[in-house]
Amino acid sequence: MASLSTAILSLRRDRRILKLPPYLSVVLIVVGVVWLFMLPLNEYSRQTYVSENALLPGQVHTYFGGSEHNVFRAYRQEVAALAEAPVDERVQRLEEIFRSSGLKVATQSFEYKAAGTTVQGKNVYALLQGPRADATEAIVLIGAWRNMDNVLNQSGVALVLTLARYFKRWSLWSKDIIFVITEDSVAGPQAWVDAYHDSHDPQFVSSLPIKSGALQGAVALDYPAGIWGHRFDKLHVVYDGINGQLPNLDLFNTAVSIASGQMGIGCTLQRMWDHNDSYKERLQTMLRGMLNQGLGHATGPHSGFIPYHVDAITLQTVGDGWHDEMSLGRTVEGLFRSLNNLLEHLHQSFFLYLLLHANRFVSIGTYLPSAMLIAGSFTVMSIALWIKSGRPPTNSDAPSSEKAPKPSQPTKSSKLKNQTFTAVKSGSATVLIPDALLTITERHMFFPLASLTAISFLGLVPFYLFNRTPLPLLAPAYQIFTIATLPAPHILAFLTPRLLHRRPTSQELTLLHCFSLLLLGMYLSALATLNFSLSTLIGVLSTPFSFIPSARAPGATLSRREKARALVWSVLIALLSPTNVIWAATVALEVDGGLGEVLRRASFGWWVNGLWTSVVVWLIWWPAWFVASFIVGSGIW
Amino acid sequence: MFLLLILALTALCAAASEYHERLLLRPLPQNALLASFNFRSNSSQQSFDQQNFRYFPRSLGQILQHAHTKELHLRFSLGRWDAEVWGARPWHGAREGGNGVELWAWVEAESDDEANARWSTLTNALSGLFCASLNFIDSTRTIRPVMSFEPEGTHANASLQLLHGTLPHEVVCTENLTPFVKLLPCKGKAGISSLLDGHKLFDASWQAMAIDIRPVCENGECVLEIEQTVDMVLDLDRSKRPRADNPIPRPLPTEDLECDTSKPYHAEDSCYPLDKGTEPGWSLEQVFGRAIKGSCPLSTEWWGDEMMAGGKTVCINVDPERTVDVRSAKPYGEVKEGHMRCYQLPDGTDFDLELHEEVIPPIPLDQPPLHAARAITGYGQERGGVESVFTNPSLTETLEIVYLESLPWYMKPYIHTLKARLSPAAALDPIKETYYRPASDRHRGTHLELLLTIPPASTLTLSYDFEKAILRYTEYPPDPNRGFDVAAAVVRLVSGGRPEYLRTTTLLLPLPTPDFSMPYNVIILTSTVMALGFGSIFNLLVRRLVAADEVPPTPLVLALARVRGRVGAALRGLLRKGKKE
Repeated sequence: MASLSTAILSLRRDRRILKLPPYLSVVLIVVGVVWLFMLPLNEYSRQTYVSENALLPGQVHTYFGGSEHNVFRAYRQEVAALAEAPVDERVQRLEEIFRSSGLKVATQSFEYKAAGTTVQGKNVYALLQGPRADATEAIVLIGAWRNMDNVLNQSGVALVLTLARYFKRWSLWSKDIIFVITEDSVAGPQAWVDAYHDSHDPQFVSSLPIKSGALQGAVALDYPAGIWGHRFDKLHVVYDGINGQLPNLDLFNTAVSIASGQMGIGCTLQRMWDHNDSYKERLQTMLRGMLNQGLGHATGPHSGFIPYHVDAITLQTVGDGWHDEMSLGRTVEGLFRSLNNLLEHLHQSFFLYLLLHANRFVSIGTYLPSAMLIAGSFTVMSIALWIKSGRPPTNSDAPSSEKAPKPSQPTKSSKLKNQTFTAVKSGSATVLIPDALLTITERHMFFPLASLTAISFLGLVPFYLFNRTPLPLLAPAYQIFTIATLPAPHILAFLTPRLLHRRPTSQELTLLHCFSLLLLGMYLSALATLNFSLSTLIGVLSTPFSFIPSARAPGATLSRREKARALVWSVLIALLSPTNVIWAATVALEVDGGLGEVLRRASFGWWVNGLWTSVVVWLIWWPAWFVASFIVGSGIW
Repeated sequence: MFLLLILALTALCAAASEYHERLLLRPLPQNALLASFNFRSNSSQQSFDQQNFRYFPRSLGQILQHAHTKELHLRFSLGRWDAEVWGARPWHGAREGGNGVELWAWVEAESDDEANARWSTLTNALSGLFCASLNFIDSTRTIRPVMSFEPEGTHANASLQLLHGTLPHEVVCTENLTPFVKLLPCKGKAGISSLLDGHKLFDASWQAMAIDIRPVCENGECVLEIEQTVDMVLDLDRSKRPRADNPIPRPLPTEDLECDTSKPYHAEDSCYPLDKGTEPGWSLEQVFGRAIKGSCPLSTEWWGDEMMAGGKTVCINVDPERTVDVRSAKPYGEVKEGHMRCYQLPDGTDFDLELHEEVIPPIPLDQPPLHAARAITGYGQERGGVESVFTNPSLTETLEIVYLESLPWYMKPYIHTLKARLSPAAALDPIKETYYRPASDRHRGTHLELLLTIPPASTLTLSYDFEKAILRYTEYPPDPNRGFDVAAAVVRLVSGGRPEYLRTTTLLLPLPTPDFSMPYNVIILTSTVMALGFGSIFNLLVRRLVAADEVPPTPLVLALARVRGRVGAALRGLLRKGKKE
């Protein structure tokens, strides 16, 4: 250890130490990104497996069928008859059906005011008290009245009603089962699960009159087939939760293994309708999953459950095939039998994973280094900038320094040939020490810290703006904000010398850059453990912020080449502004409803689902961009 | 009916040694059937003291003598009583316990330590007798309730201590029923106890087994009475399913499905299930799997109740219009009165009751005097809350209740957050008295007892917050991620003359649980090593190393040195002066 310390100490003043970090940083980014692309390979991903012994997926015979099909058809007719009915009539009718099956029924109304719109509705839910249960645990079956595409979930709701009647006859339930029919797929389930955990605002969401125990799992059905039914081809398993949180992999695996293993229904994920398990398709699945995770939005009625540590998935029917509602019903029966077997809350398997295929995944241990390396690249650059800021500027004379006696330090004599020396007496010994080692450069921290704090807080402006603006004004407000903020850092860079009555020194700008990268690296590495995808996405899009040209010294004039370089950089940074990226992504991904819809969802997510993505964008990413742009601007103006 | 029974209890004649049994059947709404078994035997205190047992079970008697226990109540319960549908509880809730096992007893002891030792003897012995983990009722699960329980028997001795313990996680099953039935004189061979079959009992929607032992004295003569009670609510559809050929609730054949043909879409393939509104038919053999095997020859006449005079053991609570067919090879006695019919069992031959499916008004049910629900609120690993909601449905009567909570030590309530809200709001403070004994880590749980008042037609919401303790890793059970069970709260109604009880459901408390798996430990270790390495290298690279003498002293140190110098100088001056003088 001692020799290592000496070796490191000898590097302290080495000129090379400042040359290395940019290369190191580039290497980290390249390795991080390449790492990501290696993940779909067989060597880096794994076959999924059911980790929890108690689940025993597909080990039970399922009996849902026969005359239950007749009942299902009747319920589907009932649901169809209610399609256009007013909310209260529908709720009352659903209550009657549940009650005739011998369940306890209750309703909940909610009214959210977000993004300038009002979303209101009524949830109906029924409680099947498990004969072996003691009200300590419960599992949930959700059928949203309208699915994510706002289509009537006719067969889905009818299936929930039929299963409720069918499940009532079994005596083996060791947990209560709650059947929930929510108004829609985002606000309704959120209102219900919030109220179940008493974290709702009673002004907007009414409390639940009937409750059971701790929720152990939730399954949502999305089967919008009409009264004539529709034979489907595959089950689309949707698993993304709010803020990129995921359900326990065991739940997903159980669903896949029951559907494909027992019922012979193929499973697919992330809208990859055809998946041949090739590298390209695996990568595409993974990237789509990362995008969904990064956005952290609600992808189905199950999403709101996951932040409460209730593992939840949505089963969506897709395609044209030969599987009918009874196969789906038996899948759900098998899944509930498995969940009923659980002795403990799902905990055995992974909570942090990337799925490549219905039975292939990458675990956190394998993928996390990628995001960490990218986040680390900012930290490396920030350390380099900190060291640089503590050194005297190379092109100017060293400022006068107090020549205090210093203890001799081991240095390499070969490096010292062309330097000026100072004789230092220490006791009886006299040592020649190079001047460079004795100069002390004071770091002027006030300007960098103050401006960084101010810019960071400036992020609250768009955050407030886009969460408060009413819906019709959202898209125009965003466009105006984008156009207004692109030149803003440059204007600030232009104004700063005039307001301060001096140019910020190159050291101050270096420190500002250093702190900004330090914060970014710190936030991103912390975020990587919570929402890997969001951290990676922002990390990759922010990489140029590390390499912007160093600020010139005050008074120095720019050569033509330097000026051109600065201009190119300022254009590049401007293009990578968060506002531009979001705009471009909206256009590129052809989001229905365009920019306005994206902003509405973000705002709705913040108010209703507790979505943190906008916080990350406006308070981490945007300030980092602003600082980078400001530093580039300072080089020009 | 129950009132009469309770009256019978008090007007007990001091017969020397007797055994009685009784079965009450009551069809409940939604295809449920309440079967309430009651077995009572007694022996005179004198013969008990001389270890001369007849109907009183010897095994239990010796335990009581050894543990100096004067009165004992033991409960095994499973499931929930659905008061909304099934009405008031049997025995006014006095013969049921919280989910799992509940035990309370009056132990004769001079000091607390002696009482604890005898309590421990008692729980360990009962644990062996009933095949239940009663030995896990240790000091952390034992409380001494103040207001909730009163002795049912007559006790002359003043030095009695009441101890109460619960095991909410205990799963009650057949291994507890067998020793229970063995205590009966006829041991399930004859009499109503021949219906007690584990498969049926534990398939019930709700069931409670109780043992109550109390000394009853009248005119100076004392008898020790043991009462064994089994109450269960059977789901008729489930129970009637024959075990042998079709225990699985397969979907009915299409032709057997009863459909609502009035629906416009009714067709061959669509069937809206018909709600017939009939009372289902059943027979004892269908429901219990066997008929009653004649009367228990040891039983004597039930006292106090006219209906049951002449050894009428089986009573059924149905509408007077309803036909009840009796199947018995030998003559039997029958008496009808209002909604009640009682039968005398024949000797040595099977006895079966059969009811047919009929459209008949359901029997009127007593409404419960109080509704109570308790749930955990909040989420997360650190803290949570408990919310209990009591509803007084009466429009005229004010209810006074005692609320008893026995919380495990790792659930630490904040009593300052204890709030009682009345809705509709009223001026009075609903909490009349509070008895609180705080928990002590690993030694004692929290004991909270409240005397509450609920005005008519009001809802009282009682809530408090608690903190979750972090356990030592060895203290976690083998299934730590399930959560920890919190015993049911006991609610006692003190308004009426008779004791009325109600238990809430148990709670599942998720505690912060470490990930006991290997990858987690690996991640922690490697992260620690990496942080150490990175930290030291970063430190060496960035920190400016300065010799100790170069560091300018901080102003505080300077000021301190100055003060010290001055004080020193002053002291020295004083000393010098003193020497000179």
